[in-house]
Amino acid sequence: MTQVIFVILLLLMVIAAVAAVMVRNLIKSAICLAAVSVFLTIILFLLGAPLAGLFELSVCAGLITVVFVSAISLTTPYKKEEASELAKKRLARFIQLPFILALVAIVFGVMLAFSGMNIGIPYATPSTFSTFKEVFWNMRQADILGQIIIVLAGVFAVVVLFKERDEK
Amino acid sequence: MPTSLQFATATIMGLPFLAILILNLVNRKTGNQLALGVGIIVAVIQMISAIICAGLLWANQKDFIDFSIFWNMTDSAFAGRLSIDFFSIVVLFCIGMVSFISFLTAKQTVGDKKLNFTNLLMVIMLGMNGIAVVTDLFSLYVFLEITGIASFVLIALFKDPEGLEGAFKYLIMSAIASAFLLISMACIFMNVGSLVYSDVAAAMLNWQAADQPLFLMAAFIFFIAGICIKAGVAPFHGWLPDAYQSAPAPVSVLLGGIVTKVAGVYAIIRITSDVFSGVATINMILMILGTISIVFGAVATLSQKDFKRILAYSSISQIGYIVLGISTGSPIGFLGAVLHFFNHATFKTTLFVNSASLEKQVGTRDINEMGGLEGKMPLTNVSTILAFLSTSGIPPLAGFWSKLLIIIAVWQAGAHFVAGTAVFASVFTLAYFLFVMRHVFYGPLKEGLEDVKETKGSLALATVLLSIVTVGFGVLFPFVLRFLQAQGML
Repeated sequence: MTQVIFVILLLLMVIAAVAAVMVRNLIKSAICLAAVSVFLTIILFLLGAPLAGLFELSVCAGLITVVFVSAISLTTPYKKEEASELAKKRLARFIQLPFILALVAIVFGVMLAFSGMNIGIPYATPSTFSTFKEVFWNMRQADILGQIIIVLAGVFAVVVLFKERDEK
Repeated sequence: MPTSLQFATATIMGLPFLAILILNLVNRKTGNQLALGVGIIVAVIQMISAIICAGLLWANQKDFIDFSIFWNMTDSAFAGRLSIDFFSIVVLFCIGMVSFISFLTAKQTVGDKKLNFTNLLMVIMLGMNGIAVVTDLFSLYVFLEITGIASFVLIALFKDPEGLEGAFKYLIMSAIASAFLLISMACIFMNVGSLVYSDVAAAMLNWQAADQPLFLMAAFIFFIAGICIKAGVAPFHGWLPDAYQSAPAPVSVLLGGIVTKVAGVYAIIRITSDVFSGVATINMILMILGTISIVFGAVATLSQKDFKRILAYSSISQIGYIVLGISTGSPIGFLGAVLHFFNHATFKTTLFVNSASLEKQVGTRDINEMGGLEGKMPLTNVSTILAFLSTSGIPPLAGFWSKLLIIIAVWQAGAHFVAGTAVFASVFTLAYFLFVMRHVFYGPLKEGLEDVKETKGSLALATVLLSIVTVGFGVLFPFVLRFLQAQGML
């Protein structure tokens, strides 16, 4: 049963990663990237590493997304005609992608099947601080505050360094 | 948890936040007008909070007080502890003091950027307060980054080419330092499984017996290298003079007075005494770095013509003294380092404020273009000479006592040659500062400087307050020493 859950999670992660590359809208792309981190976080929690999961979630899914979104907000999107032209090129570029993915999966499957490597999911002994609640709200309290402040600092940096240039 | 403690800790981590909220919720024009006033109030309350915490420590006869930010979690076994001790209180007070002075300086120098300046300075305050109270290496890193990011932006506040260059240099060096710190933390976490100071210290005590001593050794080396970059200790100082020189006046005050000291020197002291105390070689390494810093800073000042750059190189030298004080590992050395931390914050801030006054009134920072300003700017003249004398350790000013304690501690530790070097470098500093004084304030009045007037308002107030602290602390210091002896801290 747990094997199935892991396979589903890994699949979702791959789908989100592919979507992050394929999606046309940059904001959606950044959100897909965050989704990759979210799935990875769930996997890390199931594997008994709440601390690593927490950092993955708050840094990769939280902070980096904020940075991406604020950077994207400074750009000007393509016009419609440009976008449709780019879309054709994009399709030509990514048409091989499913085949490459399938090939990689097959190669890895064959390697694992014949090399006798064990990928049985290792269950680490549950950590003493195993609940997300405990780790997030109590153990890492200062870091949560720190992350909020970093986001603030980033926003002010964008305001000071970039915003006024547009007005001129 | 008594109410006074709740008040003090809530102001330390929460008040700047509240100020940011208030200033950005009202409309932009009102925010711009209110900004500096709100900032000054926050800085003053922070100083009061630090004093309250000191009183609580003293009243309860404790070495440290633990607290939490959002809610009381003394029952939780894995609570991320925040802790205030004697040294953090000195640091918190210095942060409040220098921020206060920086706001006063900003009043006459930042123009219409008041709101942006205040926002970023509040973020820096939050970052530095965090550095002062956390007890976990990763949290330390998070708050170091906050302080760093806000500093880069503040240096480039006016977006002039100089400022952008200084900020960029700082950014690159800081990024390298961060990478070092992260590598170090990864190595430690692999071996220890925790990043809390006390856990790491316990593991470091018997690191030779650890599974992979090599990793712990690498962690130690990377950490020291990373944190020395942040502090601007001599071989790692490349970014410091440019950042100080190119920053706007109130930002130089802040950087020179407190930011590099909290982000660098405080972190060095904290991790040497709380984390790597089990590593025998650390004192040796710090002593070598400190001595190089002292000598290099003093010698490099010689060829400088820019007033702020002179102060920047002198900062490197003074930071060397603080590092030297810690390297002795004795209570006297530690006390000397903490006091020099405070004194350096005072006199270096005075000097940066005066450089702002000179720049504003005379229009240049080049010491060759100034001269004979003694009669024109008497207040700046007197406060500058007081600060210079305090920097070079002339009694009875505050700088004398801290340098004396540091040099006594070094002598007691058996490093007679190093102690001699430190004294000699101090004399060297004095000689050069007198040379600068003669160039700027004495001699015949330079042409075109006839209309120069004394600085007024907030800048004059800042200078006067800081000079009073320098002289007062120096004169009263023997009583402080007696008090500390009576408390058993020496």
